[in-house]
Amino acid sequence: MSIFEYNGSAVVAMVGKNCFAIASDRRLGVQLQTIATDFKRISKIHDHLFIGLSGLATDVQTLYQRLVFRHKLYQLREERDMKPETFASLVSAILYEKRFGPYLCQPVIAGLGDDNKPFICTMDSIGAKELAKDFVVSGTASESLYGACEAMFKPDMEAEELFETISQALLSSVDRDCLSGWGGHVYVVTPNEIKERILKGRMD
Amino acid sequence: MKLDTSGFETTMPMIGFGSNNDMLDGFCSVPSFDLPRTTDFDGFQKEAVQMVKPAKGTTTLAFIFKEGVMVAADSRASMGGYISSQSVKKIIEINPYMLGTMAGGAADCQFWHRNLGIKCRLHELANKRRISVSGASKLLANMLYSYRGMGLSVGTMIAGWDETGPGLYYVDNEGGRLKGDRFSVGSGSPYAYGVLDSGYKFDMSVEEALELARRSIYHATFRDGASGGVASVYHVGPNGWKKLSGDDVGELHYHYYPVAPATAEHVMEEAAE
Repeated sequence: MSIFEYNGSAVVAMVGKNCFAIASDRRLGVQLQTIATDFKRISKIHDHLFIGLSGLATDVQTLYQRLVFRHKLYQLREERDMKPETFASLVSAILYEKRFGPYLCQPVIAGLGDDNKPFICTMDSIGAKELAKDFVVSGTASESLYGACEAMFKPDMEAEELFETISQALLSSVDRDCLSGWGGHVYVVTPNEIKERILKGRMD
Repeated sequence: MKLDTSGFETTMPMIGFGSNNDMLDGFCSVPSFDLPRTTDFDGFQKEAVQMVKPAKGTTTLAFIFKEGVMVAADSRASMGGYISSQSVKKIIEINPYMLGTMAGGAADCQFWHRNLGIKCRLHELANKRRISVSGASKLLANMLYSYRGMGLSVGTMIAGWDETGPGLYYVDNEGGRLKGDRFSVGSGSPYAYGVLDSGYKFDMSVEEALELARRSIYHATFRDGASGGVASVYHVGPNGWKKLSGDDVGELHYHYYPVAPATAEHVMEEAAE
């Protein structure tokens, strides 16, 4: 098993009508052994910007701390929140700084930009940005996630329907992966509110 | 390579050594092996074994108690990180009074258990009485020993009831054979042992033993990534085996640890890390 599969993870983000949803599994494992079932992979940068990180858990936590630091510095200097596109470029630059000793994680960035237009993107571990209009996936279950999202996604879904779709895609994909699952964590973000939900999944 | 092919024939096995040895007529002797023509023999052997050998990603357990033998297993088949099936039958019915468990290569376990069933039946016909669990496990262990180092992957328990009472043996692809009261085999076995050993009493009733076996498999599926699916439990009594339960482990979790429904809250808080 590769180092990216050491802890196990699954992260997915989807675009809806003036809203987005980002979801992850909750397992932290050491190869096949499960250590925790409440590991936080998705973190808020500000009210309209979330980042989900898959891959090696220690790098997930460290990278998140560095990004929060950089964003707080930006807020102090510019007296406003960062736009999602700008934040994606920041993450890409930070990852490429470590080109020859990289952070072993793949971020998924989701946010609402100007005019509340949803923005999602993913990156590999050295910062190659991949923008998408519909959904992005990352983690050990990514191949299953691609299949599930491709089948279930429709454009311009409202918040409730988007929640259902992303939850079903996540749960059905992690049920085919030994290294991720044990519950799910979903954030659905519209211009006015953030809804955080925990999913009841198979705990095996 | 000259293998012991008595597993594939119903007539007397071939003799491996020189056929002019009269003393060995009628006995099953250890076959002689030709060596492969290669410069790096050890490396070649290692590669061959690694290529064929799947990891024993599973949890199976069996224990003897007052009322017989309890046998339980999960039902997940995994290929590396991918779950290839959640509904594999890992408890193999050798004959109406003997069960075998499957851990390791599915094809290996299925074939050799069926082969063992054939040999047991032949024994019954030749000797007019059922074969003992000890005898059956010995037949299997000897067969696996002759294929040692060739990449078979079998970690099985033979459980049954014969004239001496309940019997339980552990047999593996190295040719090892152990008699015992409690065994668990597979990647989830440490977790199953923890629950099984702490809850085991010889004087349990069938219901208590069923619950202990089911709980042990459940805990192993929770902690081990390569185990999951359905927890099946069989009981072997004086009249043969009977399947007692097959519970989906996903539902068992919420049965043992029910969740109070949580309401969705608006979350507008500082990122507190």
